[in-house]
Amino acid sequence: MAEQEKRTEEKVYRQLRTNSLLQQIMFRYMLEGHAASENGRLAWITSGFPVEIPVAMGVGVNYPEQYGAVIGSQKVGPQICGFAEEMGYSQELCSYARSSIGAARYPEKSPLEGLPKPQALLACNNICGTVLRWYDAISEMTGAPVFLFDTPPTQGKQTPHHREYVRQSVMRLIDFLSTTFHTTFSEERLREVGNLSGKGIDLWTRCLKACRNRPSPLNCADRFLAMAPIVSLRGTELAVEFYQALLEEVEGRVAQGLGAIRDEKIRLLWDDIPPWFTIFRFFNGLAARGVVFPADTYTHAWSGSLSGADLVDSVVSVYSNVYLNKGLEAKVDKMCELIKEYSLDGFIMFSVRSCKRYSLGQLVSKELVMERTGVPGVVIEGDMVDSRLFNDAQIQTRIDALLEMFI
Amino acid sequence: MTKRATMGIGLDVGSTTTKGVLVDLSRTILASALIPTGSSAPVAVRRVLEELSQASGKDLAGLPIVSTGYGRTSVEFTHEAVTEITCHSVGVHSLNADIRLLIDVGGQDSKVIKIGPNGRPTDFELNDKCSAGTGRFLEVMARVLEVSIDDLGPLALQSTSPCTISSTCTVFAESEVVGKIGTGVAPADIAAGAHSAMAAKVGALARRVGLTTPIGVTGGVALNSAFRHYLSKQLDSPLWIPEKPQLTGALGAAILATK
Repeated sequence: MAEQEKRTEEKVYRQLRTNSLLQQIMFRYMLEGHAASENGRLAWITSGFPVEIPVAMGVGVNYPEQYGAVIGSQKVGPQICGFAEEMGYSQELCSYARSSIGAARYPEKSPLEGLPKPQALLACNNICGTVLRWYDAISEMTGAPVFLFDTPPTQGKQTPHHREYVRQSVMRLIDFLSTTFHTTFSEERLREVGNLSGKGIDLWTRCLKACRNRPSPLNCADRFLAMAPIVSLRGTELAVEFYQALLEEVEGRVAQGLGAIRDEKIRLLWDDIPPWFTIFRFFNGLAARGVVFPADTYTHAWSGSLSGADLVDSVVSVYSNVYLNKGLEAKVDKMCELIKEYSLDGFIMFSVRSCKRYSLGQLVSKELVMERTGVPGVVIEGDMVDSRLFNDAQIQTRIDALLEMFI
Repeated sequence: MTKRATMGIGLDVGSTTTKGVLVDLSRTILASALIPTGSSAPVAVRRVLEELSQASGKDLAGLPIVSTGYGRTSVEFTHEAVTEITCHSVGVHSLNADIRLLIDVGGQDSKVIKIGPNGRPTDFELNDKCSAGTGRFLEVMARVLEVSIDDLGPLALQSTSPCTISSTCTVFAESEVVGKIGTGVAPADIAAGAHSAMAAKVGALARRVGLTTPIGVTGGVALNSAFRHYLSKQLDSPLWIPEKPQLTGALGAAILATK
C-alpha cells in the first residue's frame, strides 16, 4: 500500500478520489438505460436537449454523443466510424454521428455492445444541424420516431416571436412524448426535476469556479470525465450526489493548496471538444511540463438552470441561448471572459474536423481573443473520435511554439 | 557543464535537409553545414557535426547543442529541443533586427511568424495538412516538367504568359499540369503558373497573421528566384532574404545554445 501511494505521489497529476463514484454512477446509468429500453421507455437524446421534460415524464434517456466519447476513449473510433463509411457515409461527416451509425449497424462489434435500442430519438439543433439527419439515419435503422426541438440560431437579443416559436416546440414535445410513451406531463414534476437539474448545475458550476484558484484543483481531463453526469443525468438525484462529492474534494484541494497537477507553471484555456482517444496522454503530457487548463469552453456549456414561475419560458431561455446557437461574438466573449476570470496565460483552440458548428470561425476568433486579452493562442487540428485526423508531430510543433512564448 | 561554453551548436533536422551552425558568443558563424536528411536523422546529425568540426577546426565535444526542426527530438545528445518557429525568429532577428514578419518555406511546411522586438515569436501560423505551399510542391512540379529543382525558378522567369494552376492540392495540381503539357502549354508558362499558385497560397497564410513590413523570407524555397518574384508581387512588398536562407533555423538554435 505504501509503495502504491508512493507511485501515485510520483505522477505529475493527482487522480480524483471521486472518479470511483463516477464509475459507479455511470455504470448505473448504463443499466438504467437497458432497463428503460426493455420497458419500451428509452429515448436517445442530444447533449443540448431540454432533458428535464422527458425525465419529468418518466422517459429514460441515453446520449449517443457520450457514447461517441466512449468509442473515442476506447480507441476504436476509426473502426466504428469505418462501419458507417462502408455504408456510404462520408469521412467528412461528424465522427459522433459516424460512430453512432456504425455502432447501430454492428452493435456486436462495438463497445458495450452498442447503446440500448431506442423507442424515440430526441434531437435539439441548438448544438448543430447534423443531429437531425443523424437521428433520421438511426430512425431508419431502428424504427424509432424522431422529434426535432427546433431552436433557430440567434444573433443578439432573442425576439418575442422567436421565443414563442421555441415555446411551441416545448408544447409539441410534451404531446410527442405523451403519445409515444403513453405518459402524462405534470408541471409539479417538471419543477422537481428542474430543481434537481438546477442543484446539479449549481454544484458543477461551483466546481468549475474553484479552478480560478492557483493552483487549479481540476485539469481539463478531470472536467471532461466529471462532466458525464451533468450531460447525461441532469435532473436526477444521482447527479446531485456526485457533484456534492466532487465539490467536497475540490474544495478540500483548494483549502490544502493542492493542484490538479503537481507543478503548475502555465495556465491555458482549452476550446472545443477534446481528442477522446488521447485525452490522458495529451493533457498529462502537458501537465509534465507544468501546463494546466483551469478552464475550457466545453464543460462550461451546461450552466443554465430552470427557474421562475413560468418553467416553460425558462426552458426556452436556457436551451435556445447556448453559445453555439448564437453568433461568433458570443463565443469570443465567453473565451475572453474565461481568460480573465481564471487568470489564464494563453489558449489552445482544437479545430475539430467533425464539429463544424463548434470549430467554425476559430481563426478569426483566435485573432479577436488575442487582440482583446493580449494573451497568445494557437489553433491545432484534429478530431474528437477519429484518430486518423490527428497528426501528433504537427500538433506538437504548434503547442511547443506556443509554450516557448511563455519562456 | 560547470564552466560557461564559448561556442554553441544549432542543429535543424528538417524533412529534406539537416543543417548545422556553430557560433561563438558574439554570434559570429564559425562553420555551417547542410546535407540531405535521408532515411536516418541520427546519421545525418552525426555527419553534420563532423562537417562542423572539420570546417571550424574546433573540438566540439561538450559544447551545448540546441536542436530544432521536425526531427528535433530525435537528436540524442541535444541539450534542448526548440521549435523551428522560435529558432527562425531568433536566427533572423540576429541577422536583421527590423524584420517583424517572417515567411519560412521549407520542404514540408510553410510558416509565417510575427517577430516581437525582442526577437521572439508573438504569433504564427503553419500550413495545414497539405504539401501545397511547401518545397515539396515545387519538387513535384519540377519532376513533372522534367527539369532539376534548381532550374525550375529560372525556367518560370522566362514565361511571358503564366498559365493558371487552379488546384491548391499538390496531387491534383500534378494531374492538372500533366493535362496542360498534353495540350501543348509551354513548360515556362506552366512553371510560372506553379510558382504563382504557390505564392498565392503562402501569401494567404501571411495575410492571416497580418502583413508587417519589412518581410523576411527564409527556408530552402527562398533560394528560388521565381518564388521570390511571385511572392513579392503577391504581397506587394519587397522581401528581405538572408544570404543563406536555409540556415536561419540552425543559426537561431546555435544562438540559443550559447545562452
